[in-house]
Amino acid sequence: MKVLVVGAGLAGLVAADSLRRAGAAVTVLEARDRVGGRTHGIEVAPGAWADAGAAYLGDRHTELLALLAEHDLKTTPTSTEGASVFELDDSGGGARKRPGRFPPLNAVALGELFDLLADLTGRVDVAAPWLTPGAAVLDDTTAAEWAAANLRHRDARAFFPLFLGEMMAADPADISVLHMAFYLRSGGGLRYLNAFAGGAQEYRVEGGAHQLCERLAAGLDVRLGAVVTAIHQHDAGVRVLTEDGGRHEADRVVAAIPPVLADGVDFAPALPATRSTSRTAPGCAVKVHLVYPEPAWREEGLSGWSVNAAGPLLSTVDDSPAGHRAGVLTGFVTGAEAHRFSSLAPHEQRDAARTQARRLFPNLPEPLAIHVTDWIADPHTRGCYAALFGPGDWLCLGPELTAPHGRVHWAGTETTTEFFGLMEGAIRSGRRVAAEILTPTHA
Amino acid sequence: MSTDDILAIFRGVLETEDLAATDDFFDSGGDSLLATRVLSALARASGEELTMEDFLLAPTPELLAARVGRMVAP
Repeated sequence: MKVLVVGAGLAGLVAADSLRRAGAAVTVLEARDRVGGRTHGIEVAPGAWADAGAAYLGDRHTELLALLAEHDLKTTPTSTEGASVFELDDSGGGARKRPGRFPPLNAVALGELFDLLADLTGRVDVAAPWLTPGAAVLDDTTAAEWAAANLRHRDARAFFPLFLGEMMAADPADISVLHMAFYLRSGGGLRYLNAFAGGAQEYRVEGGAHQLCERLAAGLDVRLGAVVTAIHQHDAGVRVLTEDGGRHEADRVVAAIPPVLADGVDFAPALPATRSTSRTAPGCAVKVHLVYPEPAWREEGLSGWSVNAAGPLLSTVDDSPAGHRAGVLTGFVTGAEAHRFSSLAPHEQRDAARTQARRLFPNLPEPLAIHVTDWIADPHTRGCYAALFGPGDWLCLGPELTAPHGRVHWAGTETTTEFFGLMEGAIRSGRRVAAEILTPTHA
Repeated sequence: MSTDDILAIFRGVLETEDLAATDDFFDSGGDSLLATRVLSALARASGEELTMEDFLLAPTPELLAARVGRMVAP
């Protein structure tokens, strides 16, 4: 059997690897000049790498941990020891240091917010969100509308968009309540998704998560620079056309690309339903890496963790490469702030990040380098962490997410209900699609 | 608020029955996110709003019951 996999991200590569091991002849077509998709390494100092894309994992990410071990990659704990810096006061109170990670906000008000979110996540049917009791209303309401109606305390209203930005790179106005509840549940629930130690951010991949994709790709036939424009099925198989005039024939195709990109491909016969709608938003994440000679904040008893209402870096975290001298602070620009930041010129982005870092960590020297990775503007991803399902999307798109279209099968972190939006979800989708192709159906 | 009332709140938030009156919330799987949910439940039940610092200083059902008792006593 000949299989073409479209997309050399984690999902596509895992699918390709599983199919190849089962004896299929597999070719992977990748639009970019690199593999990895939403995992991408930046060399911040000679031999020292930072994750410009997906970075974190935890113990529940069992498929990812197994795959890392299989490819001789190690994890390193995310460094969180020390005090945090909070800049949440819009009255210009400035940055405040505090022990631990808890922000200087009304704890009871935040507790009410998390109670409401826990109730929603507990009610969602995670395997089939469109079947959740009351799904129509939950799918029709934006998270912003929900917050306006339900959050009484100003601290809860202020914290909510920061929390959603961190958890799912979403502007509350872009997503339905159903998608919010689904995403939080799919990733393991509020506590797990939020936590570093004992949660979804416990580890990073030593040397960068992109290495996993590189190692998977090493054993595969991967064609870079192959932008797929058409997937045409005929009686005997599938023909895949690329922008540069390439023609590839196969028995089956795995489309391991985000929903919005899939809708840019010409399908014949046409898809019975689109993979995204006008309400499907790109995940709004821009990652900013500030590189220092060393992680000097640690000497001041700071963890590097900060939360900032004013932005553009809504949070920062210590992502210094293990085993190297260099200090790296990763700034997350998410949600509505990411759209604003994305529209700035590169030098304006770097200036804004530098100014903010100076305010948050006044004792640090000027950064040696500032790297900005804008996933919203990236034409071959169009949004990170994952597609954001807007009002109406789950009811309309959900039931079709994994349904094969003839010889075309779907993978990608948006096609899984387990760990949606995460590396773990991408891997699980790749395994699922391989099993789907290898298991003969009697339909 | 009795110690048992608060123990019931801990059990609900931590989703486990395996907790005693002298167990430290933060050593039993609780973190600051879940701690806020204990504080909101306490506020609903007793009308008293404790801070995260209060909870860190009185992290067991027994100590927290004493803390709430002190606040409402004349």
